[in-house]
Amino acid sequence: MIGGRRLELSTRRGTEFIDITARLQAEVTAAGLSQGRVHVQSLHTTLGITVNENEPLLIGDLERMLERLVPRHGVYCHDDFARRVNIPADEPANGHAHARLLLLQPAHTALVEDGRLVLGQWQSIFAVELDGPRERRFAIQLEGEFGRPDRERDRDLVELELARQLLVDPESVQVPMRRLVEAGGKRLRPLLTVLASRLGPHHDPLRAAALAAAVELIHDASLVHDDYVDEAATRRGRATVSASEGPGRAIAVGDYYFAKATRIIAELGNPRVTSTIAEAMEAICISQIDDVNLRGYFPGDHDAYLRVVRGKTAALISASCLAGAQLAGAGSEVAGRLCRYGDLLGIAFQMADDLLDYSEHSGKPVGTDIRQRVVSLPLIYATEDGRVGGRVRELLGGPLDDPEVREVQALVHSSGALARVGEEARGLVAAAVRELDEIELNGVRPLLVDIARSAVDRVT
Amino acid sequence: MREQVAEIREADLAHLESLWEAGLGQAYDFYRPGVEPRVALAAALVETAVGLQGLGGPAAAAGELLIGDLCLARASRLLADTGSQPLQVAFARAVERVSAEASGDRPLTPVRDLLGAAIGIAR
Repeated sequence: MIGGRRLELSTRRGTEFIDITARLQAEVTAAGLSQGRVHVQSLHTTLGITVNENEPLLIGDLERMLERLVPRHGVYCHDDFARRVNIPADEPANGHAHARLLLLQPAHTALVEDGRLVLGQWQSIFAVELDGPRERRFAIQLEGEFGRPDRERDRDLVELELARQLLVDPESVQVPMRRLVEAGGKRLRPLLTVLASRLGPHHDPLRAAALAAAVELIHDASLVHDDYVDEAATRRGRATVSASEGPGRAIAVGDYYFAKATRIIAELGNPRVTSTIAEAMEAICISQIDDVNLRGYFPGDHDAYLRVVRGKTAALISASCLAGAQLAGAGSEVAGRLCRYGDLLGIAFQMADDLLDYSEHSGKPVGTDIRQRVVSLPLIYATEDGRVGGRVRELLGGPLDDPEVREVQALVHSSGALARVGEEARGLVAAAVRELDEIELNGVRPLLVDIARSAVDRVT
Repeated sequence: MREQVAEIREADLAHLESLWEAGLGQAYDFYRPGVEPRVALAAALVETAVGLQGLGGPAAAAGELLIGDLCLARASRLLADTGSQPLQVAFARAVERVSAEASGDRPLTPVRDLLGAAIGIAR
């Protein structure tokens, strides 16, 4: 057990809901609590804690409800200083705040699994100031199993396996691929593979890491070829293989790692896994051809977009989940739901990626999709807009130099298309999370939920 | 020619039909004797991909690269369908070898030799 910790905050208003979820998660992470509970207790009689949805209009409703039930200017004997004894000089008239605390709780216990707070999709933990502004403190105790969360161990294992696989390769392919692998990346696909592999009776961390590394190599190999096709100069902040080594070597590097990943998977000796990944690779290739062909019909429509995205992005994410489950011998119900979870997550992930093209803070060059005439949902929605759609179509039909790209971006912003795409992506994430309901997920659910949400939250 | 195409499932040539007359069919004929159709098609697809993508020569244009990728992926799926692990491993090693040679600016081992040996290993 770890005790003696204090969470301090400065409140700014008389009644205020302050979301402390991220700060509690930081405490859990810093303590290395992997499984257990975190207890949070207010050290004040006018500071409560509650769990609810962090939605601004709802917070306003809750503040007004407190005012309605226990009015600030009601009559409270506690405020009748003439009748009280031993009153401090700075005693405030705050009977309402004490009374309001009866509607809340002074303490809360949150469960922790795999290093993460266990919270439902819409749940946030709030400190509730009832007599602010003040300097406030909560006492925190953490109990359970401490150590590095499984997720970090899994990630390390995948990184080690990737490094091990690359180490034995000829330098001419190893060096450029290592540069790409070491530049980072989210490792979404291998992480999903490893998590899914925990859901079957034959879970073997080393075999799961091998499969996960192979999945990442397929993804990276496809990026190497994509960058050549898109004539991209940088990837993950570094020169692309095509830009630094030339197109001929980029093609060979991509081919080498497609083949190597296929071999690693074949050597695992699970025909279902081999077929799942092979089918995903085929789907990726077909959609890439489709994607390039659709650039002639830019910006396309929603159906074409979904068709491309399902293959280009969702196929491997979905296969990562399914193959992980198959490798461990998970039941068909679990495997099927994970497959659908991956499909929905993959589409949402790509929609979020589309939004990055309009974000100055994403770290990616803005307007690339427009310049390259990539099928992108914000553009499709902007062309459907009655007010700006005509002008967007007109611009997209002509040459796209800097002024045109800037104008298209401004029109997309003003059309509300970005909000619409964000909303659709969040809806898909919610649907993906619903796929996880009603199946036994062996403690993996919070991580899968977290991954799904963060895929979209990184942008929206 | 029609007889040969008839023994291949339509789905196995989807998106690649135009390659048949452009050399894929001839490559298939080469591998087919004594080998089941999907293995012969897988070998022909790998050989076609290596040619399309210009491994060991001038780099392919983007369109050819993507078609070549689909050939390789289709070959992997066909081999997965066979359920033969030795065949899958041997084919993958053949592609690893020619692509490593291409990336190292070394002369390529003839693909037919590598694939012929791969098919032989699995027999």
